[in-house]
Amino acid sequence: MSTLAALQERFQKAVLLDDPTPGLFAAEGEELESGLAVYLQAYRARLTAALRDNYPVLQRALGDEAFDLLARAYLDEHPSHFRSIRWFGDSLAEFLAAAPEHLPHPALVDLARMEWAMRTAFDAADATLLGVGELVALPPEEWPQRHFKPVPSLQLLDLTWRVEPIWKDLNADAEAIGDEPLPWPHVLLIWRSDLDCRWRSADACEAALLRALTRVASFADCCTLIAESGDPEPAQTAAGFLQCWVAEGLLAQD
Amino acid sequence: MSEPLQGFGLGLRTEHYREFATAPQAVDWLEVISENYLVPGGKPLHYLDRIRRDYPMVMHGVSLSIGGSDALDASYLRQLRALVDRVQPAWVSDHLCWTGTSSLNLHDLLPLPYTEASLEHLLPRVAQAQDALAQPLLLENVSSYVRYRADEMSEWEFIRELVRRTGCELLLDVNNVYVSSVNHGFDPRVFIDAMPPGAVRQIHLAGHEDHGGYLIDTHDHPVCAAVWDLYAHTVGRFGQVPTMIERDDHIPPLDRLVAELDTARSLAQQTVAANRQAA
Repeated sequence: MSTLAALQERFQKAVLLDDPTPGLFAAEGEELESGLAVYLQAYRARLTAALRDNYPVLQRALGDEAFDLLARAYLDEHPSHFRSIRWFGDSLAEFLAAAPEHLPHPALVDLARMEWAMRTAFDAADATLLGVGELVALPPEEWPQRHFKPVPSLQLLDLTWRVEPIWKDLNADAEAIGDEPLPWPHVLLIWRSDLDCRWRSADACEAALLRALTRVASFADCCTLIAESGDPEPAQTAAGFLQCWVAEGLLAQD
Repeated sequence: MSEPLQGFGLGLRTEHYREFATAPQAVDWLEVISENYLVPGGKPLHYLDRIRRDYPMVMHGVSLSIGGSDALDASYLRQLRALVDRVQPAWVSDHLCWTGTSSLNLHDLLPLPYTEASLEHLLPRVAQAQDALAQPLLLENVSSYVRYRADEMSEWEFIRELVRRTGCELLLDVNNVYVSSVNHGFDPRVFIDAMPPGAVRQIHLAGHEDHGGYLIDTHDHPVCAAVWDLYAHTVGRFGQVPTMIERDDHIPPLDRLVAELDTARSLAQQTVAANRQAA
């Protein structure tokens, strides 16, 4: 290891462990402590702020003190490997699921998952939306083999709690005190239409269809999936979903 | 690349997207933080493209880690190059620092030891970055709060030598010079006067926090009187170099930043005029 690499390792260790390293710096005593403290404090403050930016509603749900403690614990276990601080916090939901003692209620794991998905949709790849006109103009003989492509920002989350009301209330009002979340296994759709993020729940059939479309299923494949659920008119049901998805900006042009 | 850059600029911040996108502002050019736009799509790139149509831009990075002991991140450089192709900036800058090692990023601008070994370490890396970006890289002096026992020269001697050996150009942050001068007890004018005149392509101005015995470069205050004085001295030495104000926290309304920028404009013009008279 070069001298420079060794110096940087020692400095970094001091920052990560919040522990001044002796012998590296020109100053000693109080002067060194105050200088080094700037780096030690700035590191935690900056990464905590980044986590707050990515999870603003979770931060409101937990309050400043509990969120800062959580950020500290997460940072100790998941220091950033990212060039851009925007991606810091990508593993927070998994971290919380494995360490529920950081949360007053297990539903907040789902809230973290929802927030990260919103953040991901916010700057996901752009797409030109499929319009009603293109759907209407599609010749009948082309429908069975036609692939309909979801927008790149679409994410389907399997949640176990009804956390959407918490998100909505706290997003609108930092001081909101909502009801305790109820268990409710469901799929939440999150996507971006034009520049704005949207979300809503989906039933099992609709979620299965959208997941199939992300695996490049055709319209005929979708009809088969619907028929398997006992629907006597799968083509009509599939067409109904398509109309709804186009209206909501869920489908992209090829 | 794009047109030559002149005049007085601001750092583009999300708080001011709409104002820049909807009405002309008294700002000659904008600096964008590169990392904020290394994303697939959405609002950041939408506004970047929209505002780029009306303003010349420069790109300013915070994660190159040109002085880091890890290899330069090839994936990051590729993304940066794609952004260069999109923005067509007048130039690209980053900091003369390291940001982490062993694949970690502390997201801070950490000072290098000012040694011959550090200079040798930087030479091929500056060339590699410039090759990857297909254009000159400006390097910015950082604020610092510690110095190393290993230092063999002053920061200004180190920078001057780096410019001599690599031909790289400088983004001279006048506030950073001032902050470090207070923290380490040197004369900031000695630093400014040591910079090779032809190498200074851009100037940063910003505010800092005074913590009694030392200053912290926070970019959350207006530019202070001492930094304005040092800026006038800098203009006296280098003439009118493209200058901008950086504000990253407690971001005020745009008109207040534009007014602060007008102070820089007036000060630079007065200094240049006074120098002409004196000559």
